Order: sequence, then C-alpha cells, then structure tokens
Amino acid sequence: MLDERITAELVGDYIRELAASGQRKDGRAFDEVREIKIRPGTFTKAEGEAWVSLGATQVLVGVKADVGTPFPDTPDKGVLISNVELLPLASPTFEPGPPDENAIEMARVVDRALRGSNAIDMEALAIKSGELVYMIFLDMYALDHDGNIIDAFALGSLVALSRTRIPVVEVTEDGEMIVKEETFDLPIRDLPITFTFIKIGDALMLDPTLEEELVSDAAITISIDSSGRVCSIQKRHGSFRVDEIKRAVSIARSKYSEVERILREQGGLV
Amino acid sequence: MERLRSSEKRGKALKLGRNEPKILVANRDLVLPGQPLAVGPIRPGDYVYVDKRGVLRSTKVGLADIREGEIRVVPLAGSYIPREGDLVVGTVSKVAGNTILVNINSAYPGVIIPPRGLRGRARAKYNLSPGDLVLAKIKAFDGVSAPLLSIEGEGLGKLVGGRVYMINPTRVPRVIGKRQSMLMLLKSKLGPEIVVGQNGVIWYNPKSLKHALLMEQVLAKIERESHVSGLSDRVLRLIESSGILDPRGSEAGEV
Amino acid sequence: MPLIVEKKPEVLITEDGIRTDGRGPLDLRPIKIQVGVLSRADGSAYLEWGGNRVLAAVFGPREVHPKHMALPDRALLRCRYNMAPFSTPERKRPGPDRRSVELSKVIREALLPSIFLERYPGTAIDVFVEILRSDAGTRVAGVTAASLALADAGIEMRGLVTAVAVGRVEDWVVVDPNHDEDQWGDADIPVAFLMEEKEITLLQLDGPMTQEQFDKALELASQAADLIYEVQKEALRRPYEAVRLEILRRGE
Repeated sequence: MLDERITAELVGDYIRELAASGQRKDGRAFDEVREIKIRPGTFTKAEGEAWVSLGATQVLVGVKADVGTPFPDTPDKGVLISNVELLPLASPTFEPGPPDENAIEMARVVDRALRGSNAIDMEALAIKSGELVYMIFLDMYALDHDGNIIDAFALGSLVALSRTRIPVVEVTEDGEMIVKEETFDLPIRDLPITFTFIKIGDALMLDPTLEEELVSDAAITISIDSSGRVCSIQKRHGSFRVDEIKRAVSIARSKYSEVERILREQGGLV
Repeated sequence: MERLRSSEKRGKALKLGRNEPKILVANRDLVLPGQPLAVGPIRPGDYVYVDKRGVLRSTKVGLADIREGEIRVVPLAGSYIPREGDLVVGTVSKVAGNTILVNINSAYPGVIIPPRGLRGRARAKYNLSPGDLVLAKIKAFDGVSAPLLSIEGEGLGKLVGGRVYMINPTRVPRVIGKRQSMLMLLKSKLGPEIVVGQNGVIWYNPKSLKHALLMEQVLAKIERESHVSGLSDRVLRLIESSGILDPRGSEAGEV
Repeated sequence: MPLIVEKKPEVLITEDGIRTDGRGPLDLRPIKIQVGVLSRADGSAYLEWGGNRVLAAVFGPREVHPKHMALPDRALLRCRYNMAPFSTPERKRPGPDRRSVELSKVIREALLPSIFLERYPGTAIDVFVEILRSDAGTRVAGVTAASLALADAGIEMRGLVTAVAVGRVEDWVVVDPNHDEDQWGDADIPVAFLMEEKEITLLQLDGPMTQEQFDKALELASQAADLIYEVQKEALRRPYEAVRLEILRRGE
C-alpha cells in the first residue's frame, strides 16, 4: 500500500476541490451519515453485543457484566469501564499492543457521552451499598477502519448496552453471594447519539471517510441526548471558529431523530 | 478424482495422446491455490508450480489461461511485485544525497539514481522532492534489493497536476485491455491524459470535476467486474449514460 | 467474581455414541465461511464453526519494520492469535498471555509450509487471527480462516491449509470436540493439513491414547478435513462468482 499520508496528499487536492464545490467523493451531502447496518447474529460471549458498520467502517462492541466493590465516593453506584482496541487487522497503520492515545481518547469520549446523558441507571446496579455492585465492561473492537470509528463505537455501544441482560445477583444476610438463573435488562434511561464532524476549508462534513479524515483541517465529536441537549463534546485535532461549532451542534441536533430511528429499527431498541 | 473426470469431459476438444498433456480445467475457469491444472508435458507459466508428483497446480486465486504448450494463471488477487520493464507511478518518499527513494505501492520501495554527467535540462528532470509523483520504468530488479527505476525516456519523470486512483494491481491488465482497447476507450471518452502504472496507481488529468467523478466510477467498475466478460460494453454504457460526453473528446483521443 | 459457573454434564457420551450437543462421534458442527469481509486488509475471512466466531486478516507482502528483522531470501511470516475480551464466559483481560503466544506460533508453523515465502524476499506477511467468540477448537478454526485470508490476499501458495480437532471421550474417538468434550474429555488432538498433498502441518496431542485410538483419530481428522476443505473452496470462489451472477442478472 502507498503510505496513507501520501495517498491523502495525492487525493487531498481532489477532496478539497470537491468540498469547495459542495460535493464529496462518495456523492453524499455534507450532513449525510453513511449507511448504518447492524449485523444480525451472535458474535461474542458477551451479555450484550452489536456488530455495526458505518459505510465500510466496521466495529464489534461487547458488554460483559461482573460484580465487584464500588468506588469509595460512589458506594451506591455500579461501575462502567470502557475500553477501545484498535486491532491491527482493521488498518495497516494499527500496531499490536496496548491502547494508544487515540484509542484511549475514543474510549473516554464514548464513556462521557454515556455518563453525561445518564444513559445507564448506575444506581440500579448497586447490590449491597459500599460492598457489592455490578461492573459493566464495555469493550469496543475496531475491525475495519474506513474513517469515523468513534461514531461507529458510540452507535455500537448503545445497541450493545440496550441488548444487555445480566444474571440477578443477591447477597444473603450472612454475606454469601448467590448468582440466580433469572436475568434483568441493563436499565437504559437515555440514548445519546454521537456525531463527528470534520472541517475541510470552509466545509463542515458529518461522518468522514478515512480519506476525508486524513485530509481534514479539524475534527470535533458531539453527543446529543434524547431531549436534544448536548451531553459531551470533544474537539479533536485542528481548530474551529465559534460559528462553526454552533453550526455543528445544530446539525447534530437535527440529525438525532433520523439516526435514532435507524437504531430502533435495526438494533431492535425499544 | 471427481474433478479429474468432469474436467476430461469439458476438455474433450483436446486429443489425448501418450505424449500429450492432460488438461484438468477449461480455459478461463476460476481456479484456487493448489488446484491441479494439468499433468504431463506442458510448460508451467505464471503462478503455476509443479508438485512432487509432476502435477501442475495454481499458486493463486485466478483464471486459468491455456495456451499452446503452456498453462498459466491470471491472478485475481495479490499485491504488486516489481518486474523489469514495468511502467509504474509512484511518489518520491525521500531524497538522500544522490539517491531518490520512490514509494511504488509495493513491499519493495524503488530507487532512482541520476546518471552521472547530466547537465541543464537533462539534470533538472532529477530535481525531485518528497511528495512528487513520478512515472518511471523498472530498469532492474533482482527480487532482493530495491528495484532500480529509470525516468529516462519519453513521458517519464515528474507528473504535474492531475489526480490519482489506486486499483488492485491484478486489475491493471483490464484497465489497459487487449491491445490497449480499454485504455483507448477511456482516452477517447474521458480525455487523453491517463497513465496506468503496472503497480495499480493510475494518474489522469480530468477536464472537469464531473469527468473526474465519472472516471472514478468507471475505474471502480473495472476493478470490481474485471473477471467477467463483456466489460468494455458495460463501461461504455456507464460512460454514455452519464450524459457528460464531450464531443471533442473523441478527437482528442486519436492524437 | 464470575457470574457464570459451569457444570460438568452427567453423561459426556451415551452408549450409542450420542454427544452432549446431539451429534454422533463423526459429525462436524456446522461451518460457515465468508471471504473478503474487511476492506482495509489485503485478505480476510470470517468463519463461524459451531459456537466459534473467528476473523482472520492478512497484510502483505509489505515492508518489514523494524528493518533488521527482514530475511534476505524469503518473506518473514508473522502471526498473532488473540482472544477478544468478550470471547469467553468470563471477561478476558486484553493482551497476550502464554497460551496465545504459543498458539500464535503453532498457527504460523501450520501455515508456513503452504506459502512460497521465497517469492517475497525481504518482506513481511502478517497474519492476524481474532477470536471473537470461543467454543472449543479456536486454533483449528483460526488456521482454517487464516489460510483463506492468505489466498484472498493473493499470496502465492502450494494450496490451502485445513484444520480440525479430534478427541477421545471415554472409549470413543470423536470428531470436532465441543465445549464439554474440550473441558472434560480425555484427549484433544488438533490437526492441520496442507490439503492437496495431505501433509500434516499442525499436530498437538493432549491426553492419553492407545496407538489404535491415535491411528483412528488421524484417519478421522483426515476425512473431516476433506469435508471442511470443500466448504473453504466454495467460500473462496463465492465473491468472484457473486459479481459474475449479479452482472448476468442485471445486465441482460
């Protein structure tokens, strides 16, 4: 393969020229999200999962549940641990090894969108105050990187969390833990949806492909909750003007219901 | 055994004699790595090996190509491995002293070494910097050290302006076509400035953004449908249905 | 603290040879394969085998980094077998452990004889095997998928490699052990074959067997591999046939 950065340089002028004339290489409008598909089937041993594609980008998200001790400052809340793996099979530029700063940034941004919107009822995940709570491991796996992995992760996380069923755990009076046969649905209170924009010249584009990402001057990720509030923002590389950020937020809010509908139809969310 | 029998039926046009090869596939059959292609006195061509028992087998996914005295496989998958005489399009990745390193979309980076004693214009051709796009010829490649590239010759050297499209290198023969037929078609309909590197890097200089978008569509179609016959007709239909044909295009293509 | 506690089934195999999942001793679990599922890899394959879900991808031949690892006369074949954190009943900590390092090696050794490495001196060929869901026999599933990913990447090969496990449960030799048999059976033997020449390129054995049982196990593995090989070949042809059929349907 030609080095990605060189390829970007070669197609860069073309993408910029297209952007200046209001077009994108794949024919999409600037505020158009690529096709979202949720692959039917079982792919993991997780308590909740989703294999999501966003155009040619593919991710697999799995939710595993366990029990453990709560953090001292939140004795009555469950624990959410978000982890991103940018697998070397997803891109020739991804190397095996522990998560790098990009992976950790993505994991934390998705995590903040969930917390910022109170998407999971963490209080319902306490078993015994200060002693035992459910721990939710959200593992996000990049399989194929054609740009905007982070939105794919966020979508996959929502579907996976909404599908999560956890065995009921009880603690007896003498402190013994019992794992029951019956399960309960992970209590989901909100559906924060994440929208990533890039800037090429003056153009603001939603859901960039890899080529667009590599050419971009700046990137920002915005999450909107179900009542239209902004619940997390991460300016990533580059810089934006104030009016551009306001425009991005307003586009994100206007796209919310469209993406939510796709999630409900394809992901079977209630 | 089953495959042997059915192939004998298909190959009934072949007269089987004692000293004649037994061909086990039909021409243009899709073949897989390890698949037996023939037994007996026939030359193994590209991507064919002879196993311990003398069976000729494919090394790749591809199409069987049976010729007089030779059987070879036209691959449908694989990255670019340089061959002497190939034209390639690459980008200059590094200039170190007298050596110019060129990324040619291969596991083997190419090297340009300017000949000694050049002056004036002839020397200026070698003033290349990282990021420059060049059209070069593979002058020498021993399979081990970096392939030696040459930009001496008509049209070789730095490519200015234009755009690049990357295609799977195995599809390059289809972009060029039999006796350059596909390339001529593209030149006549979409503009004469197109260069197809054997390494899968295609450079073209479109007349407009619309031409560029159509060229991308056309090349994507060739890449995807390369192994299905009747490709030229389908490409022509795609170009004609786009409705952006330039009446002057055909004249330009004949230059 | 794990929320899932496994129990050993009372009967692993009945007197009539019926196994815990209802199969007979010689039956394989269902196998489904899709080739070319990833856009960025040079070659890829996704495989479902019983409850296993495996993704294999190949990059290369490509430049070797770090450069000093390059071999002057052939390609460097590297392999990474990795289990996803959500692939097991209890969450697995990300990152390599001793088991995955060993499996990476045996998978590499299983694939190596099938590749004409000498055609690509000085380069690297990287094979990544990701276990998304494990259900006994992940290494043989990994080899079977990885060989297809190599072919999909257009690497020159002697032929495909097909792998299958056989095992012993009490006095029975069984093909393709399931989770229960893997966990509580008496012996497990993963085998890989370079199919066109039927050379064995992976063989491990774990658990006591008589010579008679072992001979039978190898014979059954070979027969089972023949069946899997057909599924592999069909999967490798499908993407190419699909384009052809689509054009025929649409075009004329």
